[in-house]
Amino acid sequence: MGSTQKSLSKEEIERYSRQMIVPGMGKEGQLRLMNAKVLIIGAGGLGCPAAQYLAGAGVGTIGIVDGDSVETSNLHRQVAHATKRVGMLKVDSLITHLIEINPLPVYVPYRFDLTPQNAAQIIKPWDVILDCTDNPATRYLISDVCVLLGKPLVSAASVQKSGQLIVLNCPPTPQGVVNKKAAPCYRCCFKKPPPPSAQTSCGEAGIMGPVVGMMGVAQAGEAIKILVSQLHMPPKEGEEVSPEKNLVQPTLLIYTYDLNSAIGPYSFRALKMGGRKKDCFACGENSTLTLDGIKSGNPNYVQFCGNMTQSTNLAPEDRITATAYNEKRRNGELGEHILLDTREKEHFSFGSIPGAVNVPFSKFLVKASSIKREGNSPAELLPMQPASDEAPIVVVCRRGQDSQEVVEKLKELGLDNGGKRKIMDIVGGMKAWRDEVDPDFPFI
Amino acid sequence: MTPKPPAGHFNILYFASAGSYTSKNVEAFPAPLPLRKLFAMLEERYNGIRKSVLDHSLVTINLNYVDVPADNAEAGPDEVMIQEGDEVAIIPPVSSG
Repeated sequence: MGSTQKSLSKEEIERYSRQMIVPGMGKEGQLRLMNAKVLIIGAGGLGCPAAQYLAGAGVGTIGIVDGDSVETSNLHRQVAHATKRVGMLKVDSLITHLIEINPLPVYVPYRFDLTPQNAAQIIKPWDVILDCTDNPATRYLISDVCVLLGKPLVSAASVQKSGQLIVLNCPPTPQGVVNKKAAPCYRCCFKKPPPPSAQTSCGEAGIMGPVVGMMGVAQAGEAIKILVSQLHMPPKEGEEVSPEKNLVQPTLLIYTYDLNSAIGPYSFRALKMGGRKKDCFACGENSTLTLDGIKSGNPNYVQFCGNMTQSTNLAPEDRITATAYNEKRRNGELGEHILLDTREKEHFSFGSIPGAVNVPFSKFLVKASSIKREGNSPAELLPMQPASDEAPIVVVCRRGQDSQEVVEKLKELGLDNGGKRKIMDIVGGMKAWRDEVDPDFPFI
Repeated sequence: MTPKPPAGHFNILYFASAGSYTSKNVEAFPAPLPLRKLFAMLEERYNGIRKSVLDHSLVTINLNYVDVPADNAEAGPDEVMIQEGDEVAIIPPVSSG
């Protein structure tokens, strides 16, 4: 990807002057950026702002990996895309925008998602990798490949009102070398992924634009720092490692923001992390992880992140389809019943099935466990007392996962009166209600 | 700033899904408490939190990462104790972007 550039053109001097005069940067720092190659995996809420600043700063070669297309619901946070580019591949939309900021860097598009089969080949030519992806399986995959290829990884993530940022594997240390100076990988920090029921995507849980934007900007900042101080290069044989070149204690930056309070209880926190873990699956002393293994499906990332715990699966007789529920409501077969809608109140506020009572899932869980602990009457969980304690309970959530857990909990607490009362959930939740019964329902 | 815990207590900060699970940002508990008992104590108050949140979270005391010992770890003179006034944070990974 081009030969090493040793001097700056007149245009480059003008374009980069304001950052080159910053102490510690200079012409030398600028040339390091211009000769560097940064790979951004994910062209979404993190990747957009990260790419904008890296392009602006003049990083010589910028690669972008993403197989998705721009959607209208992306635009509040994915600030490099545009209304007129909805439907375009994100990679192409982002590069269109970056060229407008700075036409000088080389932009390399990868118009597909990263997979265990292509990961090593894609990651290999780059100096620094930015993880701007949106799911645990890809996060573990990227970290593993970065350990094996000796790449520093700037990892960020964000959901709802929380963001996290950490620089991993920097400076790069060979797999299996564990000492005080060896930097951790993603697995050293987060050994296990959350169970599938606790994994939420921005599409499911929501995300505030400034939170994810802040993290993406910080990723660009860390990448620039690594390149200018050459932290991405392993120390040469016999070279004295200066304290600043040695990130002995990596830091996890946490950003939390509270919409209900302007001053918030806390916003930024920098946590000192441990170093590389001796028993780490990827970088530890007895690791058997290899690039060939990854390519041939070992480890199985999807299974690792998907089947950690059995998610609830109710028997068919404890479930009802949206169509059947609507039918039984209309013909009176169901009679008096309680309809619990367990979506969070923000979702509920856009609309609900007539008669539904909102009991948000998170509040339900807390209440259920306090009833169990204090030995109170489980009937407290119900929003109203029906005339008969055999009146059926129907539970609906957004897509039919939480509702199954609620049905299980209600039965566990004995609210089914030994089988006399039917408790069931609506298969596929409010999404199914929209798809099968009410096409105008504002499902978000 | 986070409110100071009352005398004889320490604070737990709940981040991301730990906050949604407990419906709290911060909560005070009596100190001292051996670190190895932290998860069991939280599980008793928030049934199911262990599987849904704690097992994959990282834990810090006063902004420093700590390894939480296994439940069956032995008490000993060297074990980490959470002290009065400490700030413990439960940090689940966030993976979206």
